[in-house]
Amino acid sequence: MKQFRLFTLAAILIVAAMVLAACPSGQTGDQAPATTEAVAEPTAAPEQPTVAPEPTAAPEATVAEAEPTEAPMDDAAMAEGMSFGLESCDGFDGIVQKVVAVDDMTVEFDLCKPDPAFLSKVAFSAFGIQPSEWIESTGGTGDLLDHPIGTGAYMLDSWNRGDSIVFKKNADYWGEPAMTDTLVFRWLTEGAGRLLELQSGTVDGIDNLSPDDFATVEADSNLQLLERPALNVFYVGMTDTFAPWDNVQVRQAIAKGIDRQRIVDTFYPAGSEVASHFTPCAIPNGCVGDDWYDFNVEEAKALLADAGFPDGFSTKIYYRDVARSYLPDPSLVAQDIQAQLKENLNIDASIEVMESGAFIAASSAGDLDGLYLLGWGADYPHITNFLDYHFGRANVQFGDPHPEIYDLLEKGGQIADPAESEAIYVDANNAIRELVPMVPIAHGGSGLAYLADVEGAQASPLGNEYMAAMKPGDRAQFVWMQNAEPISLYCGDETDGESLRACEQVTESLYAYEINGTAAQPALATSCDPNEDLTVWTCKLREGVTFHDGSAFDAKDVLASWQAGLDASSPTHVGNTGAFEYFSTLWGLMNVPAQ
Amino acid sequence: MTTSNNFEPSEIDLRRRKETPWIQALRSFVRQRSAILGMIIIGGIMLVAIFANQIAPYQPDQVLIGQESVKKRQPPCIHLLGCPKDQPQHLMGIDGNVRDEFSRVVFGSRISLMVGFFTVLVAMSIGVILGALAGYTGRWIDDGTMRFLDVLLAFPSLLLAIAIVSVLGPGLTNAMLAIAIVTIPVYARVMRSVVLSAKEEEYVTAARSVGVPNNTILFRHIMPNGVSPLIVLATLGIGTAILDAAALSFLGLGAQPPTPEWGAMLSAERNQVFSAPHLVFFPGLAIMLVVLGFNLLGDGLRDALDPRMKNR
Repeated sequence: MKQFRLFTLAAILIVAAMVLAACPSGQTGDQAPATTEAVAEPTAAPEQPTVAPEPTAAPEATVAEAEPTEAPMDDAAMAEGMSFGLESCDGFDGIVQKVVAVDDMTVEFDLCKPDPAFLSKVAFSAFGIQPSEWIESTGGTGDLLDHPIGTGAYMLDSWNRGDSIVFKKNADYWGEPAMTDTLVFRWLTEGAGRLLELQSGTVDGIDNLSPDDFATVEADSNLQLLERPALNVFYVGMTDTFAPWDNVQVRQAIAKGIDRQRIVDTFYPAGSEVASHFTPCAIPNGCVGDDWYDFNVEEAKALLADAGFPDGFSTKIYYRDVARSYLPDPSLVAQDIQAQLKENLNIDASIEVMESGAFIAASSAGDLDGLYLLGWGADYPHITNFLDYHFGRANVQFGDPHPEIYDLLEKGGQIADPAESEAIYVDANNAIRELVPMVPIAHGGSGLAYLADVEGAQASPLGNEYMAAMKPGDRAQFVWMQNAEPISLYCGDETDGESLRACEQVTESLYAYEINGTAAQPALATSCDPNEDLTVWTCKLREGVTFHDGSAFDAKDVLASWQAGLDASSPTHVGNTGAFEYFSTLWGLMNVPAQ
Repeated sequence: MTTSNNFEPSEIDLRRRKETPWIQALRSFVRQRSAILGMIIIGGIMLVAIFANQIAPYQPDQVLIGQESVKKRQPPCIHLLGCPKDQPQHLMGIDGNVRDEFSRVVFGSRISLMVGFFTVLVAMSIGVILGALAGYTGRWIDDGTMRFLDVLLAFPSLLLAIAIVSVLGPGLTNAMLAIAIVTIPVYARVMRSVVLSAKEEEYVTAARSVGVPNNTILFRHIMPNGVSPLIVLATLGIGTAILDAAALSFLGLGAQPPTPEWGAMLSAERNQVFSAPHLVFFPGLAIMLVVLGFNLLGDGLRDALDPRMKNR
């Protein structure tokens, strides 16, 4: 009987606990319902400050610092807070030595070496500008990752994780205002699913059409197909710190033992081509030097035998199951390479599919012991974006960097005239061909599809479609569907195209790429002019620009945004992963603590 | 005590009583058309699996680029149905990697049957022993074993299988192990209930009283009572295991490329459901057929072996 009572009591307590736990309000405080409401009805409450807290929400010290932006800066402020960087370039491998606010609307970039691609690089969306107060109040992470405050034609309204991101029109935009009041970003991994959404009219445009769907879209009068130029490269990477990739003959055998033409013919859409070099030929000096090796099984087998693997070996093929314009069908291409390796070189390769983020992290860190399928889409149209990023001194994704390559790249990167630097890039491309850190397979054409009534539809060669310039018929909102959800909206510390495209709608850099093109043109800066030897660039900032939170844009914001990315000793250098990969590879991080 | 019977036993009933229960079950089984259909399906698939090398015109991982003038994801070409004779015949078309889909489906039957039989064998072996020991010994062994199995049963089986594969790593062997692990409780519970009811029977008491050892009583006198329900359960379980393995492969956690596993084949071409429907239709049809076959067979066996279903 006693046991029965105890059991009854316990049962009542459990039921009571469950009822309390299920109760939506009460103990959970006031924040929970507010959050839920914001998520459930993102578009219904445009007045709410869901974009980000006002700068006044920042700590007092930050507010005090913010005040000078409303008034001219005095000399003391200039001297103390309005520059960051290094005293000298001695022992520093990076490019930017110092960033100085000359006055409240002028910023000067002092470089350790000439950088002819400076304008193309500053236009990149990873270098978007946000208010200094916002960056400082968030400590360079936290809310900064989810709530960007920019100056763009759209401002963030809400991010419903796992579902959509809603942007609303920035009525105070300094440039041409957005053509539609609301912009919605959605995502779906499956190409067939994206096309189905477009065909049913629930979205206005989709990214990365599956190669087999080109014909379907072309045949449908309700849709329009736009082909994106092949400004990318798909390659098979090898990390030479793992055996057998530490043997250059093995790498050369792989280079000769894969029929790249077969891959392009079978798995790529029209407009794609076999890669003769790592960099596409559309980029100056991209394909100077010798063409890549021809497919030759006998030579490949001989190389493998010389390397001590006459009977092949076992390895792995790593990839992420994410379609990209450079690799539209990752699974099929992986299986074809697996079949070719077995058939041509008797190499047994098992396939390992990895989660996208983990794959990028492992490949970037040089942690993958097998072959891996990766690619690169141009961020800015310059050869340094392809070669320096991958084969530079700091990149360990292919194992130990090769001085035979990066010494040449460092020389070539300092010459503005492509004709003058051609000889250097001939040698660099030949060195890449000789050392085979990877095998370039294809420059992949890709397609975007829109509803037929979308005006100004774009297919940017850089993958940065500018949604503000597109009009979806007479509909009130433009719905864009891409492959995946952005990782965060603080793109200083992101590298994936899905995040960058979303950031580009909200934040702006000093320069911007022309719509549907690659030329860099003034954006938040009206001009950036170099000195004679291209080591000092002075940028005049645009007057009268305000951020989405209403604060004024000035030099202090440029410094804060760049310092968060470039200066490893800054308290705001936190971000999402802390890698700040674009800052690191394109400019070089400063004040990096010794390992 | 026996149940009273108001009817005089007919001649047929008398003849039946002379037959062994297995003969009666067989007689009952062959009377059920659906069960026979299930057996025909399973028999056919087994023949396909055994003679896959003779039936399939190509090896399952043979890429036909450069060997034939075929295109990626080409629809089926059957000469009897009007496909031009100058084109190579491919009964189920060509897959995304330019391989013969029919050959892959044929070889896939081996994988599916192997998965089904292996997982059920492992799960049943462990489950039966655990259930029998728990039921016969009772006390803390029973409590401990059954509570642990209850915990396993509390998880949705596929989710638990995914969790196990995530720990072990993707692959067909690990997927089979995972499915086997999550199905152990089903067999254990059935065996335990059989043992619990049988161990109170008079013949068990009699055996115990004359000094028959416990393990002999358990394995020779009690456990044979569980054969009928276990056969039914195992037959149905094979179908479920094949379905679970296909689901795991579909999610990329089971068979890895280029293994011609039907779930993996479905997954690889899921994006082409509109542009190349034959590539999802045929593997899907194969999964449906084999699972249907085992389900029909299992239902038939249950009806045949369950004494309560007699005369219904």
